[in-house]
Amino acid sequence: MSDSSIKIVLKNVSKYFGKVCALNAVDIEFAPGTLTTLLGPSGCGKTTLLRLVSGLEPVSSGEIWFGDENVTDLSATRRDIGMVFQSYALFPHMSVGQNVGYGLGVLKTAPDETQERVREVLEMVDMDGYQNRYPDELSGGQQQRVAVARAMVLRPKVLLFDEPLSNIDSKLRRSMRDDIRRLQQGSKITSIYVTHDQAEALAVSDEILIMRKGAIEQQGPPQSLYHHPETAFVANFIGESNVVDAELLGEGKTRQLVLGDAEINIAQGKKTTRQNGPVKLSLRPEVIEIAPKEEISPQALSGLIVQSAYMGPVIEYSIETKVGILFTRAPAYAGQFQKKEEVCVRIRPEEIIIIPNA
Amino acid sequence: MNIKRNNTPGEIGPRVVLSWILIATTAYCFLPWVALEYGITDFTMDELLDALGWNYNKATLVVPLLLLILVPFAWIKLPRKKSGWLFTILSGAVIGILLFSFIASNTSMGLAAGVILLCLAALFAIGISELGFQRGDTFIAGAVIFVVLMVAMFIFYPVWEIFRNVLFNKAGAFVPFQFFRIVTSFGVGRVIWNTLRLAFTVGAATTVCGLIFALYSVRATSRFRYLIRVFYILPIITPPFVVGMSLILLFGRAGMISDGLMFLFGPAGIFTPEGSQGIFERSGYIYGFLGIFLAQTLSLTPVSYMVISGMLSSINPAMEEASLTMRASRWTTLWKVTFPLLRPAIANAFLLGMISSAADFGNPLVLGGEYDVLSTEIYFSIAGAQLDFAKAAALGLILLFLSLSVFYIQKKWIGKKSYVTVTGVETSGNVTPLPKFLQRSLTLFISFWFILVGIVYISIFLGGFVTQWGADYSLTLSHHVELWSKGLSSGAWPSFLHSLSYSVIAAPLTTLVGVLIAYILTRKQFFGRGVIDFGTVLIFAVPGTVIGVAYILAFNTAPIELTGTAVILIITMAIRAMPVGIRGGMSALSQISTSLEEASILQRAGSLKTIRSVLLPLLKSTIVSSMAYSFIRAMTTVSAVIFLATAGTDVATTYILSRVESGDTGVAVAYGSVLILTMLIFTLLVQLVTGRSRTDKQVKII
Repeated sequence: MSDSSIKIVLKNVSKYFGKVCALNAVDIEFAPGTLTTLLGPSGCGKTTLLRLVSGLEPVSSGEIWFGDENVTDLSATRRDIGMVFQSYALFPHMSVGQNVGYGLGVLKTAPDETQERVREVLEMVDMDGYQNRYPDELSGGQQQRVAVARAMVLRPKVLLFDEPLSNIDSKLRRSMRDDIRRLQQGSKITSIYVTHDQAEALAVSDEILIMRKGAIEQQGPPQSLYHHPETAFVANFIGESNVVDAELLGEGKTRQLVLGDAEINIAQGKKTTRQNGPVKLSLRPEVIEIAPKEEISPQALSGLIVQSAYMGPVIEYSIETKVGILFTRAPAYAGQFQKKEEVCVRIRPEEIIIIPNA
Repeated sequence: MNIKRNNTPGEIGPRVVLSWILIATTAYCFLPWVALEYGITDFTMDELLDALGWNYNKATLVVPLLLLILVPFAWIKLPRKKSGWLFTILSGAVIGILLFSFIASNTSMGLAAGVILLCLAALFAIGISELGFQRGDTFIAGAVIFVVLMVAMFIFYPVWEIFRNVLFNKAGAFVPFQFFRIVTSFGVGRVIWNTLRLAFTVGAATTVCGLIFALYSVRATSRFRYLIRVFYILPIITPPFVVGMSLILLFGRAGMISDGLMFLFGPAGIFTPEGSQGIFERSGYIYGFLGIFLAQTLSLTPVSYMVISGMLSSINPAMEEASLTMRASRWTTLWKVTFPLLRPAIANAFLLGMISSAADFGNPLVLGGEYDVLSTEIYFSIAGAQLDFAKAAALGLILLFLSLSVFYIQKKWIGKKSYVTVTGVETSGNVTPLPKFLQRSLTLFISFWFILVGIVYISIFLGGFVTQWGADYSLTLSHHVELWSKGLSSGAWPSFLHSLSYSVIAAPLTTLVGVLIAYILTRKQFFGRGVIDFGTVLIFAVPGTVIGVAYILAFNTAPIELTGTAVILIITMAIRAMPVGIRGGMSALSQISTSLEEASILQRAGSLKTIRSVLLPLLKSTIVSSMAYSFIRAMTTVSAVIFLATAGTDVATTYILSRVESGDTGVAVAYGSVLILTMLIFTLLVQLVTGRSRTDKQVKII
């Protein structure tokens, strides 16, 4: 972490549009030098949160701190922020060089210094040499790179990304997100990144903040969110998940989950603080195995294939069981089960997630 | 390398504060504090000296002295809130004192008072922006204050004066029933009925004709349709009453077509059987409902064409293709799919036609005869021997009410009912052609229309070159000679130059304010925004004659005495043309993504810099074209300026009308044709200069 990295803190921040509550009394801390993703369905308040941090939108109540400076009353102009917009927002009447050098011009930087800094930052995004092109002469990915360069040229304290990759085709998206990750880690500028694409969030973030209906559902590093979702919503939102009902029985070595017609011993596997009784489980597709129906045992569910789709390396299945339709995939080399075929469904006990808050 | 951050963007430096104070004090020292007897263009040195504030009344010294208190605070850094309160309260108080003293002493403000008020408003804006208004953005705060002041002074105050003249008598007593006494004292019911009947029929006719033209230009497969795209420019550059004049030349008692009909079907006509009286008789049939109807339909149809064709061309062809694939015929498709989709545009065109017809003044004046409508009746109650301001105000109130209610219906009912989604994506697929029979009948109709319009314009141009239309068709240059070669101080030149110079000043002014209003309305949310919003509605809806009456009532006496000056004409022209700038600005701004401005703000630019470097370049073509259009509107306007132009400040349109009234039709049409030609050349030049630039192309992409 470099010395100049700052912490961003939101204290009890709310935002109302008229009577509609977009953000309800949230407290968040963004650690210095990290990239945190705001993830959630549309309308969850993630873009609002980003705009409050930028200062483009005033808070209704609460405080925003950059390091030890209270910036709540500062306008966007004075907050020292770089932002990459969803539409890139490149000025169409200015060349790439003029776009990137715009802020330097505002701060009355000497022309040759401006030129040098523009070159430097364009080099970082592999766009040096494009100074005299106009935005409409660039591809989407190139415009994106220029937008990133422009956001970084003033060496802001905070970098904000508002769904920066949503207008780029999926193949390019992967390399762009790696670039953003690399640039952010190189500069160590505290960054906030809004997206609704969970794969993108998992790939770029130090931390992910899942939002729902104007509140924070869960915050944590990608792995912990994936493996320890605290709510069914998070389990569903990060990765794929089958959320099913089960019952917790027994004690100590005989602790068991009753899951439809299966009884799974979880004593050696998952530890849970939950009381006995009904619980909700999250079963990732990779935890569910399909076997021919002859292999049925008390620990396994019996199921009926209702849908199978060939996807190249894997085959996706939907299986009807006593606990509902389960979704899973199996490697294609294992051969394909047919629709309407009866199968045995095994679940690896150590990977079962018992959702704490459900 | 570290970036210098010594200047905090958006903060008010001492220079800004000092320059406003300096301007105000200079104005106080050297400009007249009270209005000069004969206006700012015509005064003696003694008159000026007497009018200077320090000479006129020592008490006025209080104003500059209070202002000087602020000077040290340009440097002294008080906490934001404190300096905000100081500026707000002090400048607000001085504004109050100033206005009160002028109103109480019933004197007219001079130029100095006006300039000082403007400076005080600026200081006030600095104050409230420090207090957090517009999130501390001084430029926007100033712009909002300026717009609110302007709307209050030139819209609300004059309209209020109309109400005041109806509600109070000359002695200032409240007479709530005066309105009813006035409107029941003569045939006001007939006048309203006449106005409504005309508005309704003209609205219907222009809608049908506009629909025909729109269908033809967007959907017909004939090459002829390209002509239509040119035709709507003619009425824009034609002063509203000139079409009426040419109808007199054609269909009047001595009209050319009347002559022809006489020759064919008159008492001694060649198709008239021996001994019969014939079926045509020479009469003033064109004067009255028929004439006004024809003139308004001819000149207002292009407006409805533009409204309908705009929507027609944005209908996704896939919808009609879907209908065709479901075995529907082209007729059924047109009837069941296309027309229902067009319904909002059709209703809109109808209401626009109604408003424009009710507000039209020139054509009823020229062609009305016995058929009296509200706009002319208002004029005659002031212009004639009656000089009855209360009556003019009462009638103006009725016309305003009519216009506002139609406008309200349009805004509330139709404004939100658009089925056409404008996505900005080029719609693919071919447009469905019209049914064969329909296309043929439309071609016939449109050919007839073009012939009529052609004859109208030819008669205007020829009319200026014949000795006495209807009696002596020998060619002559005498009308033009009388107008143009009697030196710059007589004939048409003074009015022509007045028109030119006033319009040249008014056009950039109105565009600037219009685009500013559009910017504030589309981009800013603040307490009191409703005031500007409603003011804009009034600017759009108030008919010209009502503005004329209102301005006479408002600016004829202290504290603001402007009648008889060029200033009031320029302001009137600017207000009348303002819808152009507002509408153009709004549609251009709605195409520019706000994230561009936000990107600029996040690059540390203040709002002034953002507007200058980002918005203005992108709005360039909008600004140029609305300036050009405002210029044309200002040159051709007649309804409001006819109340305000005097012998010393007459403009082209009022001069022409006065010649019509004195019976010099030849001179009038000669002048009219020159005016049209000037506008035509001007329009072509503007189109040539603007062309399609790089920004034009790119704004479309966003």
